[in-house]
Amino acid sequence: MVVNLRPESWNVSAAGGLPLLEVRHVTFGYELQPVFFDVCLQLAAGEMVGLLGPNGSGKTTLLRLLSGVLRPTQGEIRLQGRELDRWRRRELARVVAVVPQELHIPFDFTVEQLVALGRLPFVGLLGSYGPQDRARIEAAMQVTGVAALAKRPFNELSGGERQRVLVAMALAQQPRLLLLDEPTAHLDIRYQIEVLELVQRLNREHGLTVLAAMHDLNLAARYFPRLVLFQRGIVADGTPATVLEPRLLSRVYGIAVQVGIVRGTAHFSVVPPGSREAQEAEEEMAALEPPPRVFVMAGGGSGERVMRALADWHIPFLAGVLNMGDSDHTLALRLASRVLTEQPYAPLSQAALEELRTALTTVETLIICPMYVGPGNVALLGEALTAARQGCRVLLVAPETAATEPSDMAFIPDSESQELSLLLARTGIAARDYTGGEATRLVEQLLQAGARVISRLTEVLALSAA
Amino acid sequence: MKIETRTTQESPALATTTATTLADAKAVHVRRRLTPLIFTALLLLLPLTLLAAVSTGSTAIPFATVLQILLDGSHLLHFRESWDPALAIIIWDLRLPEALGAALVGAGLAVAGVLFQGMLRNPLADPFLMGTSSGAALGAVIAFILPLDTTYGLFFSLTPLLAFSGALLTVLLVYAIARVGGRTPVVTLLLAGVVMNALLVAVQTLILTLSPQAQFNLQALFNWLSGGISVNSWWPVVIVGSLIVAGIGGALVLGQVLDAFALGEEGAAHLGLRVEWYKFLLIMLGSLLTAAAVSISGLIGFVGLVTPHMLRLLIGPRHRPLIAASALGGASFLTLADLLARTVIAPAVLPVGVFTALIGAPFFLYLLRQSKKEYRWS
Repeated sequence: MVVNLRPESWNVSAAGGLPLLEVRHVTFGYELQPVFFDVCLQLAAGEMVGLLGPNGSGKTTLLRLLSGVLRPTQGEIRLQGRELDRWRRRELARVVAVVPQELHIPFDFTVEQLVALGRLPFVGLLGSYGPQDRARIEAAMQVTGVAALAKRPFNELSGGERQRVLVAMALAQQPRLLLLDEPTAHLDIRYQIEVLELVQRLNREHGLTVLAAMHDLNLAARYFPRLVLFQRGIVADGTPATVLEPRLLSRVYGIAVQVGIVRGTAHFSVVPPGSREAQEAEEEMAALEPPPRVFVMAGGGSGERVMRALADWHIPFLAGVLNMGDSDHTLALRLASRVLTEQPYAPLSQAALEELRTALTTVETLIICPMYVGPGNVALLGEALTAARQGCRVLLVAPETAATEPSDMAFIPDSESQELSLLLARTGIAARDYTGGEATRLVEQLLQAGARVISRLTEVLALSAA
Repeated sequence: MKIETRTTQESPALATTTATTLADAKAVHVRRRLTPLIFTALLLLLPLTLLAAVSTGSTAIPFATVLQILLDGSHLLHFRESWDPALAIIIWDLRLPEALGAALVGAGLAVAGVLFQGMLRNPLADPFLMGTSSGAALGAVIAFILPLDTTYGLFFSLTPLLAFSGALLTVLLVYAIARVGGRTPVVTLLLAGVVMNALLVAVQTLILTLSPQAQFNLQALFNWLSGGISVNSWWPVVIVGSLIVAGIGGALVLGQVLDAFALGEEGAAHLGLRVEWYKFLLIMLGSLLTAAAVSISGLIGFVGLVTPHMLRLLIGPRHRPLIAASALGGASFLTLADLLARTVIAPAVLPVGVFTALIGAPFFLYLLRQSKKEYRWS
């Protein structure tokens, strides 16, 4: 059922060897707000990779990091084994070329003049164009089919023609890696196909490595043998068959979709809902899967262990409310059945809290991970308390360090209040309480309402599976 | 699941030419063939305007005599002295420095205009955008009100020196203010320029209001502010001339950088340019040219705005030819404007700035209305 258009190029990256481009644990943020955390990605020479993700997911930012315009706040990017920072701009321009989404130029440059600019990294500022440069320019225009337009002003061309000129300019740089930022965003269907066919041809016949941010899932499925789904972090990376997974897509894009192969074609198609049939199909699909009975509250990476373990044990769970950009959010998008989401860095909104309240009534177990609690997310604990009082089983996961304190376990409490304070200490909430005591008080109330403090993951799993 | 099957054209025909754009292609083609012609015309126009400027004035001197005096004086050829020796003095000491000064100022401002328009990717930018004008004006005002004679011997006067320093200091200040975290965003740069302009004009007004000296020199100051070539010796011509010629040379070197800047700063970076460094170089070069010009001419508008604009229409946007053509065109334009300013209501002299504005503004408005949609700030 999996129809892979170019299995061999995918295997190239799987085969290993020195990758052309390697992104190692890159974190990036404008000012103090991180756009994404800990991104890892490898591109082998000759691959053609589509970068998918909703608007604002950080796709363009990732491309700008790869082209060296931005620098990672943490982590490193290596091109041909050398860190990007160590490349001189001009050297870099001979290896990496970028095709922008569109180009407004204020002056009337002709197609030929623009394509010639692509030779700048070779010609230098004082040098002049030699016969070899002329030949390269001519060849770039031939390959992209814009040779006939050479003398025309760029600004008078149609969208598709312009995009091909931009590709020609990039080709004049003789790059090994071509980065494209939504190359089809402003084109009608005919030019979309035309531009992507061109890129595909360059990849197949000229061995150019391609990484393109794409907003059109269907075109991405059709032309790219490897897809990377991005939502402020890499959510999925693989063949269209693995990445274009309906539930994954609906979690990342926030809309239910269907994925299938249209009769007579050889690639996946993604169809948004709209018809009643689509909704019925979705309900049918939902009915096949048991409804999740576990809810995970996490944040800032505190939920990683728990969520991975639940997924390994095939225990379906809900997660939330998580802010976009939180590493737990990225992970939950991949692993959870449904993720309750809040805008980046926003405190929990009333709407999100109501959604959470409804979701909590459908589950039997609530797992609270050892997350930091501040004014923005303290409301989570309030909702947890309500749920606990209504009979939901609440598990407070103790932080990993607290788990290795057997002396506490051996200590036999004298009174109920002493036992409570002991439990409270085991949750370690005091160290993570940034609300001036409110969070600690809520945890104390949770404990009084019957919440249990758990140190071992296996215990969490056993209780969740029950 | 019901999805309608449809066939898409697998490989649509590439390159299709539509009839509507053929006309534009033709225009570009014509422009290509015209370029050498236009350069020839510009190369001829400059000596002619200079000659006209030297021969015209309170005493008209025939072209032939002018040529003879110039060739004789430069020891290239020798003529029997058949002219009034006073004429030689008028030509060598008065008219030629002034005409050359006008030509240099015109060339400097026009090239500065190309630099700023290219760097800011906006055909409406002019050399005074970064606060050069108000900085120069403030410098001039200070020179005028200082209780010193504004002229020291024959060598230099304080006004050009202070105007030059004022202009350069202001631009450096604007640049420093606009620089945030290793970058200088264009919008911040422009805003800083606007604010600095306002501030310096206020300071200038304050000085003029408070200073008792100002009353005496107000007329002279007014003339300076409305622009007029004031050269009465060779020294300023040589100093300003070498600055401007060097500046134009630098601009020609950076021509390719400006071409790349047309793609936007990120596009230029993708072509291997260190954008911030070149932005700094371009600003400094443009400001140096402007400051040098302003120091002997006062504030002359529109030369730097209209000249590059018009020549871009004639020879296309590539910056190396455009810089060369603008230097020649700006020089001829300002020499001519200076000539008219001196002769229209002779013996009275109009400020050249008035002239360039009277010609430049309507012409510019006409261009603006012709092609409104082309001007997008981006």
